[in-house]
Amino acid sequence: MTAAIARLRRALPTGVLLLGLATLVIVPMLFILLAAFSTEVPRPGSIGLDALSLENFEVLSTSQAMGALGNSVFIAGAASLVALAIGCGLAFLAARTDAPARRLLYFTGIAPLFLPSLVGALAWSLLGSPATGFLNLLLHGVGLDMTLDIYSRPGLIMILALYYAPYAFLLVHSALSLMNPDLEEAAFVHGGTRRHTLRRITFPLAMPAILGSGILIFALTMENFPVAQVIGNPGQVDTLPSFIYRLMNASPSRGNEAAAVAVVLTAVLLVVTAIQQRAVLRRKFTTVTGKGVKAKLIPLGRWRWPAFAAAMVYFALAVVLPVTALLIAALQNSPYIASLGQLTDADALSFYSLGEMLTSEDLLQAARNSVLTAVLAGLIGTAISFAISYTVYRTNAPGRRVLEFVAMSPLAVPAIVLGLGLLWTWLVAPIPVYGTMAVLVVAFLAVFLPQGYRGVSASILQVDRDLEDSAVLLGSPRAKAVSYVTLPLMRVGMVSTLLLLLMLCMRELSAALFLFTSDTRLLSILIFDNYDNGAMQGAACVSLLYCGVILVIALLAKSLGAKTVEGSR
Amino acid sequence: MKVQLENITLAYGDAVAIKDLSVDIADGESLVLLGKSGCGKTSTMRCVAGLETPLSGRITIGDTVVFDSERRVDVPPNKRNVGMVFQSYAVWPHRTIFHNVAFSLRQQKLPKAEIRERVRDVLDLVGLTEFADRGASLLSGGQMQRVALARSLVMRPSVLLLDEPLSNLDARLRDRLRVELREIQQRLSLTCVYVTHDQSEALALADRIALMQNGRIVQIDRPEKIYDAPFSASIADFLGVSNIFPCTRVASRENLSVLGLTGHDVEVLSRSLPTGPEGAAEGSGAADPADPATPRVCIRPEDIRLLTEPLPEGGNNWLGKVEVVSFQGSYVRYRVGLKGGPELDALVPRHGSALLPVGTPVWATAEPTAVQVLPAEVPA
Ligand SMILES: Nc1ncnc2c1ncn2[C@@H]1O[C@H](COP(=O)(O)OP(=O)(O)OP(=O)(O)O)[C@@H](O)[C@H]1O
Ligand SMILES: [Mg+2]
Repeated sequence: MTAAIARLRRALPTGVLLLGLATLVIVPMLFILLAAFSTEVPRPGSIGLDALSLENFEVLSTSQAMGALGNSVFIAGAASLVALAIGCGLAFLAARTDAPARRLLYFTGIAPLFLPSLVGALAWSLLGSPATGFLNLLLHGVGLDMTLDIYSRPGLIMILALYYAPYAFLLVHSALSLMNPDLEEAAFVHGGTRRHTLRRITFPLAMPAILGSGILIFALTMENFPVAQVIGNPGQVDTLPSFIYRLMNASPSRGNEAAAVAVVLTAVLLVVTAIQQRAVLRRKFTTVTGKGVKAKLIPLGRWRWPAFAAAMVYFALAVVLPVTALLIAALQNSPYIASLGQLTDADALSFYSLGEMLTSEDLLQAARNSVLTAVLAGLIGTAISFAISYTVYRTNAPGRRVLEFVAMSPLAVPAIVLGLGLLWTWLVAPIPVYGTMAVLVVAFLAVFLPQGYRGVSASILQVDRDLEDSAVLLGSPRAKAVSYVTLPLMRVGMVSTLLLLLMLCMRELSAALFLFTSDTRLLSILIFDNYDNGAMQGAACVSLLYCGVILVIALLAKSLGAKTVEGSR
Repeated sequence: MKVQLENITLAYGDAVAIKDLSVDIADGESLVLLGKSGCGKTSTMRCVAGLETPLSGRITIGDTVVFDSERRVDVPPNKRNVGMVFQSYAVWPHRTIFHNVAFSLRQQKLPKAEIRERVRDVLDLVGLTEFADRGASLLSGGQMQRVALARSLVMRPSVLLLDEPLSNLDARLRDRLRVELREIQQRLSLTCVYVTHDQSEALALADRIALMQNGRIVQIDRPEKIYDAPFSASIADFLGVSNIFPCTRVASRENLSVLGLTGHDVEVLSRSLPTGPEGAAEGSGAADPADPATPRVCIRPEDIRLLTEPLPEGGNNWLGKVEVVSFQGSYVRYRVGLKGGPELDALVPRHGSALLPVGTPVWATAEPTAVQVLPAEVPA
C-alpha cells in the first residue's frame, strides 16, 4: 500500500514533466497536422475535426509550391556547401596553420554570429538592391556598367552561406584542435609526407564534424525565414518558409494550406535531423579524445598572406560591409540617394533619426518586451532543462527516454511551423494566453528546448552522481542534496545555458511571427515590421541597437568563461 | 552492527547484476568482497546503502529491516545510517574540509560546539587536523580519501562501506593507508564491507573474504582458509596461482594421484584427489581442456623449486629450460619451458645466489601436497 503510493510519488514528477512538454511541443504539432487535414483552421470552440479533407494538399501540386520546394532544397544545398567551404577553410587556417593573426582569424570565424540572419539580410538588401544598393551606386560611381542583384537565388545562397558558416567553423575548429597529434605524428614517423598525412589522417578524422555541421547547416538554412523573406520576396524567389508566411498573410488567410506546406517542410527536416543526429552520435567515437595537446602547425609558405586575405574578404562581406551599410542607412538624412557622393555633403548624415528612433516609445517598448521575454524564457527554460536532465540522467523513472525524445523533438520542427502550431493551440486553449507576452515566452521555450536540454545535460554529466549520493547517505533528504551539492557544482553550466537561451531568444524572429500583437512586439519583430512597411531607416536603427544588445550578452557570457555559441543552432 | 543480506537479486533493466545473494556480516566484522570487474561488488554495496532497489530479498541492519521486497519495506538511504566511501571519494570540491565532514552532524541539527568537537576528533583520527579550513579541491588523493573516510566516520555509521577506496592511489601510499584503515576499523570495531579486486589488499584487510563471480558469492571464509583451499581453479587464479593446467587422472600410487596434463607428456603427482565425474575418465587421457568439468592442476609459483639435478627419491621431477628471467628484488621470477610440457611460472627466493641465465637446463619440482587439483569453476 505505502509502496504503491511511493511508486506513484516517484512517477509523478516525470508524469507532470511529460505532460508539460507535450503541451509545449506535441500539441502544437498535432494542431498543424489537424489543420492540414481539415478545411477549417482551429479556433475557439472548434478545432476543425468535423471538416476533415485532403484538399489542402492540392496546394502542393501548384507550380508555386513545387517552385518553393525546389528552391528550398536547392538553396539550402548550395548554401550549406558554400558555408561548409568557408567554415572549414577558416577553421583549418585558424587551428592548424601558421597563418598570420590566428586569433583574428578565430574571431572572424565566429563574429557573424552576432548578426542575426534577419539583420544580415536587411543590410545586404541595402548593399545589393539593384536600384539603390550602395554597392551598385559604388559600381556606377566608378563608371562600371554592371549591376549586382542580391534579390536572386545566388544572392540568397550567398547571404545564407555567410551567416551560417560559423556553425561549420565552430564544429570543425574544435575537431581539428582537439585532434590527438600522436595520430598525425605516427603517420609522419611511418614515412607519410605532410600532404599525404593531411589527406589520409587529418581530414578523415575531421570528417564526422564536417559532415555533421554540413547537415546541420542544411537543416537551418532550409527552415530559415528572414533571409528568404527579405531577399527572396523582392526577387520573387519563394522558399517553403516564406510560402507558408505568404499563405498565412493572404486575405483571406489560407491557414489550412499553410499547414499542409508546414507538414511537408517538417517531414523534410525530420529526415535531415535524423541523419544529423546519427552523424553527431558517430562523431563521439571517431573524433579523437581531446587532451588539449597542441597539434603541429602546418607551414603555408607563400600562401600565408593570400589565405589571410581571403579570410578578411569573408570578414568584410559578413560583418564590415553590412554594419557600414546599416550605419549609413541609420544616419542618412534623405531616404534615397542617387550616388555615394551625396553622402559626403555637409548635411547628408546626422544622428537625428537614430536618436529619434532610439527614444521612440515603439522601440523602448519592443526592447523591454524583448528583454523580458528572453529573460523569462531563459530562466524558465533553464529550470525545465534541469528538471528534464535530472530525470533522464539521475533517476530510473519509467518514461525518461520518452522525456528526452520529446525534449529534443523541436530540433526537427522549423521555428515558423512551431509558431503556427502554437498560434492555434493557444487560440483554442481556454486560458487567455494568446496575445500576451506569455505566449511568446511559451514559443521560445518550445523552440529552444533542445538547446537548453543539451546544455544542462552536458553539465549534469560532468558532476559525478556519487557526490550527491554521498550527501544522501550522510542523512540529507534528496532535495537538500541536490541544492547543497549538485546545483552549486553545475553553476557554470547552468549560467551558460541561461545566457545561451537569452541570446537565442533575442535573435529569434520566426517563432514569434504569428504570435505577437501590437502591444507585444519584440525588437526582431520591430525590425521586420519597419522593413515590411518600407521604413528602411527605422529598420537599420533598430538593427544596430539589436546587434549591440546581442554583443553585450555574448561578452557577458564570454567573461563568465562560458561556451555560449557551442551547441547553438 | 550486524548486517544481513538474504536472497538479494538486483537487475539493471534486463541485466541481472546480483543473483540470489545471501551473506551475514557479524557486528564489528570486516568483510571484503573480492572479484573480477563487473561481478557485482559495487552493486551489492549500493543495495545495502539503499541506492539501488533489489528485485527481491531482505536486508537487515542491526535489528532493523531496511529492505524487504515481500513486506514492501524500503528505508530511504538517508535514514539507514550507512557510511560509504566511494571509489571516486565524492568529496565536495566546493566546500571546505570542515564543511564536508560536518555535513551529517549539521543535518542532525546538533549544537555547534558538539559538531566542532566531533569534527576535530575525527580529523585527528585521520591525521588532517590542520587542514580543516582548506578547500577540498586542493587536496591530494590520499588526503581526499581520508576526508571521505572522516566524513563517514563522524556520523558513527551502523556499517561502513568502502568501494575500492585505495585504487586511485600509488602503490606506496596504498600500502600505508591499507594498514591505517585496518587499524581504524579494529580500533572502532566497525562493521565494514570493503570492495576490492586486489588480492593482497583483501588478504590484509579482511576478517572474512567473500569471493564473487557473476553476481554470486562462490566462496566465503577467513583469508588464510581461502588462500589455502580455494574451491575452484578460477578462484585460485584470482589469488595468484599462476600455474593452472587441465589434467586427467591416470592412476593412483600409494595415496597420491597421478595426473596427466592434457595435451602434454608430463605426469604430476598430487596429494589431493580430483573431485567430480572425471574419476570415470581415468586413463582416457583425452579430456577436453575447455570443458569446465575437466579438473585443473594448480601450483603456486612460490611452491616450485628449481634444482640443477633431479631429486633422488622420485616425486615431482620435471626437466626443463629457463626461458625468461625477471628480477624482482628479493625474488626472481622464472619461466621454465618443460620438456614435452607447458611453461611453468616459478617464484624463487634469491638468498644472494646468482641468477640462472636463460637457456639453463633445470629440474623443477613441487611437493605433492602443494599440488591442488580443483574444478575449473564452482558448480552453479
Ligand atoms: N547503472 C547501471 N546500469 C546498468 N548496468 C549496470 C549499472 N551498474 C552496473 N551495471 C552492471 O552490473 C554488473 C555489476 O556491476 P558492478 O558495478 O556491481 O561491478 P563491480 O564488481 O563493482 O565491478 P568493478 O570492479 O569494475 O567496479 C556489471 O555487469 C555492470 O555492467
Ligand atoms: Mg565497482
